[in-house]
Amino acid sequence: MAAVEVTDGITVEAGRARTRRRVLVGVGLAVVFTLPFWAGAYPVSIATMIGFHSILALGLVLLTGLAGQVSLGQAMFYGMGAYISALLTVRVGLPSWPSIFLAAAATGIIAAGVGFVILRLRGIIVAGVTLTVNLIFYYLIMSMGSVTGGATGMIGIPRLVYPGNLPYTAFIFLLVWLVVLALLVFSRNVVNSRSGRALRVLNVLSGGSEDTAQVLGINTMKYKVSAFVVAAVFASIGGSLYAHYTRVIEPSTFHVQLSVIVAIMVIVGGVTTPWGAVIGATVMICITEILRAVAPIVLGGPTGAYELVAYGVVLVATLLFLPEGVYSLPKRLKRRRRASR
Amino acid sequence: MEFSTVLQSLLSGLTLGCIYAALGLGLYVVYGVTRVLNLAQGEFVMLGGMITVSLSAFGVPLFPAILLAVAIVSLTGAILYRFIIFPARHASGSTLAFLTVGFAFAVKGLTLLVWGWEYRTLTSFLGSPSIHLWGATIFGQAPWVVGMTILMVAGLYYFFGRTMLGRALRACADEPLGAKTIGISPARMGLLAFVIAAALGAVAGATITPLTMTAYNVGIPLTIKGLLAAFVGGMHRAEGVILGGLLLGLTEALSAGLMPSGYHDAIALSILLVVFLARPRGLLPAHANIED
Amino acid sequence: MLRAEYMATRSGFPHGSTDPLLELRRLSVAYGRLVALKDVDLRISSGELVCIIGPNGAGKTTLLKLVNGLLKPSSGEILFRGEQIESIPAYKVARCGITQMFQDVQLCPTISVLDNVMTGCHVWTRAGFLSTGFRRGHAREEEATMRASSLEQLNALGLTDRVTAMPRELSWGEQKLVGLARALVAQPSLVLLDEPYGGLMQHEIDKLSTLLRRLTCGGVTVLMVEHLTDVVMDVASKVVVLHYGEKIAEGEPQAIRNDEKVVATYLGE
Repeated sequence: MAAVEVTDGITVEAGRARTRRRVLVGVGLAVVFTLPFWAGAYPVSIATMIGFHSILALGLVLLTGLAGQVSLGQAMFYGMGAYISALLTVRVGLPSWPSIFLAAAATGIIAAGVGFVILRLRGIIVAGVTLTVNLIFYYLIMSMGSVTGGATGMIGIPRLVYPGNLPYTAFIFLLVWLVVLALLVFSRNVVNSRSGRALRVLNVLSGGSEDTAQVLGINTMKYKVSAFVVAAVFASIGGSLYAHYTRVIEPSTFHVQLSVIVAIMVIVGGVTTPWGAVIGATVMICITEILRAVAPIVLGGPTGAYELVAYGVVLVATLLFLPEGVYSLPKRLKRRRRASR
Repeated sequence: MEFSTVLQSLLSGLTLGCIYAALGLGLYVVYGVTRVLNLAQGEFVMLGGMITVSLSAFGVPLFPAILLAVAIVSLTGAILYRFIIFPARHASGSTLAFLTVGFAFAVKGLTLLVWGWEYRTLTSFLGSPSIHLWGATIFGQAPWVVGMTILMVAGLYYFFGRTMLGRALRACADEPLGAKTIGISPARMGLLAFVIAAALGAVAGATITPLTMTAYNVGIPLTIKGLLAAFVGGMHRAEGVILGGLLLGLTEALSAGLMPSGYHDAIALSILLVVFLARPRGLLPAHANIED
Repeated sequence: MLRAEYMATRSGFPHGSTDPLLELRRLSVAYGRLVALKDVDLRISSGELVCIIGPNGAGKTTLLKLVNGLLKPSSGEILFRGEQIESIPAYKVARCGITQMFQDVQLCPTISVLDNVMTGCHVWTRAGFLSTGFRRGHAREEEATMRASSLEQLNALGLTDRVTAMPRELSWGEQKLVGLARALVAQPSLVLLDEPYGGLMQHEIDKLSTLLRRLTCGGVTVLMVEHLTDVVMDVASKVVVLHYGEKIAEGEPQAIRNDEKVVATYLGE
């Protein structure tokens, strides 16, 4: 009898938790997708930046969180999306919508080649090599002045064409967050599927093994490269949208610093769940904006210094005290409350 | 191609190579003992340079200023190990690497707060700004940089080969469990490794500042170069790291001197990357007995 | 591709007769100068339960690694159903119908027992990255089939109430059973077991022996490495003795027990 009651209790509680989660997600979606209609220009632009970073971070959830391949090259694929899209529209004169898809396809092909070479390596070295490749990419767009505009970058990238008379910033905001939602659903589906399990089994970082995966019939190289390509294509789509949003791009945006910050975002949010990417991007961008706006006025000192310190402190604190990221915070608090009861 | 141009490239390549080798050695000491990829090594170098510059500006003579800088930076190395790495010492390699990234960000931010964003420099150690040699011109500081690296290598060889403490460190690197059973504490050795790496970084920072200048944001590029040197040469042996550093420096200088302008950075890095991908265990791989 | 289709593609091998199922021909492997296996010949027929015994360092685990494809031999051939498999990658070997349970089981620690067993279904499913991401119809169908087969397998091994547990919550014996379930749900024709009895308690040993006997009656072939001589003599239909990389004896358990050479070098003490 007692056992039945306990299991009943758990299912009721789980059901309640699920309802609570659904309500939370519903309210969140409602708030996000109506934002441009009631918030000012500044919050909307911040939320748009959160969206771009969420797209970048979502790629790393599959690649790093599931497959255990630490990549510090997301900024490069973001840059590829932005530059290819910009070149196709500005220099070739293609319309902007198809150029996004062409850029994504081209980036995917390049990523497949890069991944095929790099992912033979094992462990943290992959991070070092992707970082180096990102740096090479940066030097290349800096040097190819006649094509990419060099250090000054490219200007005059056309807007996306859309029906209706929504302001452009509101349209981009909605588009970016729709993309975030779509990629979130895609990643979640992968996590709970045959491919997701294959990736987790070969994840050396979290106690899996490539040999075990092979013996189970998993083509480890194919899965690692697929995850790498998917992460790159996510970043490329984000980059193309970014180019058509700001309409001006310059190489410094796609420097290795952004790759590292994106990695910090997923770690802070929680690397094993797609929600972690969105949470991490939100937390980090909010910290940045608050510190940029407030700290130099209150505390003095140059802009940009406090956020660097904050990134470092937040990253170290997460890794030491909350290794599964902010996403796991409610669960942890609940467990602690239950333990103290 | 004139002889003097090639000589010029070779000499500046040698200098650059020594800088990268010095960075690689810091990474090597930490990695060898603790298996942590210390992505804050460049920050040690940056801090060493910054502190020396400031102390000199306060009128402290050069060599005491360097010593003081080394002491302060060593202390930050100890802090990094004791409060950030040590509590997480059982975590995965990537977690440990990202902990050092966090530390690097914090140091960078604090440096920006204290010193601002300006580039700073020191005067050349012996006054003469440049030296002429068979038609090539090198900076007066360059021999100091080369000498510093040679001294560093000699010092490390002496320390690891001849002193009790150095041997204990090596034992800890090769066989942590065995070292523990004969009474060597891995935690103390880890601390020592970080302190040594920080001190090496600070010396390097002070020595290269007259040549390259320093600012809050030079750390990460330096770390990446040191990392590449260590990867290419082989992370498991000091000789490998030095070889990798020299190779990187020479490749950079030669492509800057001989290749079409603009592309030399990308070309040099690509060459090194290809070398690494062809020999992923490093040009000088580990001795068989410490393979992991 | 569903399970039945997978089985159909596997049974249609050119030679019709599948005897012997696995054949090793003059198999040698060396790590540098160290010779781990030297000219080993072995023929295993369908439905046999073959045990490899031998002292530590005899090359037992090496032999399993050669069969599952993780290690490539220095010379010699491995034939599975008459086809050479010694040079194809491990994941393709698995698709030929060979699975293995490792000595330390190696369950994936981040997913539940059920999900772990479902990874065993990888060989007979095919939904790729994109179709799982977009939840295409066939991917969903496959997922349901995998779930059903895995639950069925867990049920058959008496693990129904551990389905949602995480691997770290299981006892060692339960972990081994989950590992076995993961291997069996792949519908293998040859199962490799590396010290399956290691660390088990007596009642678990008996249960495993019963399971293995039932398995071979169902036509599955088992090749295992084991230290516990008593158990080996009890369950094996054939025993192979390795000694420093060489096969020194092969035969029925009773014959091995009385083999002078084996007694002198290994069983005696």
